[in-house]
Amino acid sequence: MKEQDPVVFVIDDDRMIRDGLRSLIQAVGLRVEIFTCAQDFLIATLPNAPACLVLDIRMPGLSGLELQVKLSDAGVQIPIIFITGHGDIPMSVRAMKGGAHEFLTKPVRGQDLLDAVHKAITHDRELRKDRTELSDIRARFKSLTPRENEVLDLVVAGLLNKQIAAELGTSELTVKTHRLHVMEKTGAESLAHLVRMTERLRTSSLLK
Amino acid sequence: MQSHSAPSLPLVYSYGLAVVFVALALLTSLALEHSFGNPFWFIFSVAVILSTWFGRSGAGWFAVVCSGLSVVYFFTPPLRSFAMKSSDIPYFLTFVGCEVGVTQLISWRRRAEDSLQRAHDELEVRVAERTAELKNAHNAILQHMAEQKRIEESLQVTRTELARVARITTIGELTASIAHEVNQPLAAVAANADACVAWLSRAHPDLVEARAAAERAAQGATGASEVIARIRSLITKTTPEKSAIQINQIIEQTVALAAAQASVNNVTIELELSPDLPHVFGDSIQLQQVVINLLMNGIDAIISTTDRLRTVAIRSKFQNGSQILISVQDSGIGVNPEVMNRLFEPFFTTRSNGMGMGLSISRSIIEAHGGRLWAESDGSTGSIFYFTLPSELAV
Repeated sequence: MKEQDPVVFVIDDDRMIRDGLRSLIQAVGLRVEIFTCAQDFLIATLPNAPACLVLDIRMPGLSGLELQVKLSDAGVQIPIIFITGHGDIPMSVRAMKGGAHEFLTKPVRGQDLLDAVHKAITHDRELRKDRTELSDIRARFKSLTPRENEVLDLVVAGLLNKQIAAELGTSELTVKTHRLHVMEKTGAESLAHLVRMTERLRTSSLLK
Repeated sequence: MQSHSAPSLPLVYSYGLAVVFVALALLTSLALEHSFGNPFWFIFSVAVILSTWFGRSGAGWFAVVCSGLSVVYFFTPPLRSFAMKSSDIPYFLTFVGCEVGVTQLISWRRRAEDSLQRAHDELEVRVAERTAELKNAHNAILQHMAEQKRIEESLQVTRTELARVARITTIGELTASIAHEVNQPLAAVAANADACVAWLSRAHPDLVEARAAAERAAQGATGASEVIARIRSLITKTTPEKSAIQINQIIEQTVALAAAQASVNNVTIELELSPDLPHVFGDSIQLQQVVINLLMNGIDAIISTTDRLRTVAIRSKFQNGSQILISVQDSGIGVNPEVMNRLFEPFFTTRSNGMGMGLSISRSIIEAHGGRLWAESDGSTGSIFYFTLPSELAV
């Protein structure tokens, strides 16, 4: 699936602000999709594109903060730029703890918003690339047999073929064959590459 | 006051008057007798009548005596002497008797007239006195009424001022909400102005988009100034001014002011306003104050709850063909009967930071508009505040 152009989602219950933000972001040539409330965004299908979300922290119905929690629960990773009023410090703290990408106080300076949007999209693009790579790696590692996995663990642990063979109670030749399969299946170019990929996979599953 | 009684002449004058009348009668009689030869004694009767009438009985008697002497001296032979022929005596005595009769009759009539006059005068005086008394009493009442009116006016001023202070207090509680209310249109202005600049800054400026953004910015500015004007009108010192107003409009404006307050506390405000309500005759700021008060109380009652819907419902409807009923229902903690009894007392509050004047002032405002304000609560699942206002059809 080919990646589309970046999209900026704007959710604000105030029509005038919504239109202003849409116009501002469109003016710099970015795609904008607007939503009048958080619920609408939740049920929308997100495109396969780097994106960010510009969200008023305070809205009737589902608030910005609640949407942040719901998205995170649903595993939707999208950088959120919160727009807060003055004196919304407790809310801002909560949003920050929830992993908000950026905070802008209302009324927002146009350039600040555009800067934040560009940064968020770049960030999301990297994240997406990262995620794609990771899922590629995961897919490749999934194809390993249990025996190959055992060999992989020991290789990554830094054992020599001889030591691995002893550990697994098999011949060094067999270990070499498994090891070759592991390198082919995972697409590792070198031992160092294999170690890096394995570490990345493990860190991500730890984080999960 | 001028008296109408005939002046009682001093003795000298009344007797003098008798002399003058008798003298005139004498001259007239002499002249007539000289011309016609007949004795014209009865002319003296006229002198006696006039003397008695104007000089009272003393002068009458004196006139009778003078007349008698004049007749004896000038008319009974021998003339120019006080002697009299014995044959003339009965004639003379008859004359004197008639004169005496006349003087008695006239003086009796005169006395009656006098006493009537006196009674009349007395009555006049009494009437004058009573009139003066009544006038004094009237003045006292007028003064009292003026005093009363002054007190009422100063009470009205105090009440208006108190209501204003309460409004300012409410506004103080609503600061965050109002800041949001003002900030919102300003945010729209900023975003749209920036968008306008961005469209113009492109390699090929897009004038259509820039224009649309500029128009939205201008609209936002108008919006902000409207919010400020609304708040200003709540704060500034104004004497109540009644006009025909739409209560639904008042409710909507008030809800706009408190919307952010509600949303911060996660409270939903539901409006069920009956369309096409007749106008009410009232002061829009004061009525707004009542609505905001009830609304804020509703929100306050919900804040501490966690186990229920968080809604304040405001409803309006026309009823009985003469009044509009507005209700503010909250899903809060309710009011227990003990508190309910004291709810509308001044300075009664269940909040630590409350002044305790809100409901008391609200009630006096509604009553001044000819309506009623009351509350109902089952003590646990929220309460409903009602108020009525006479519709303009009924006024």
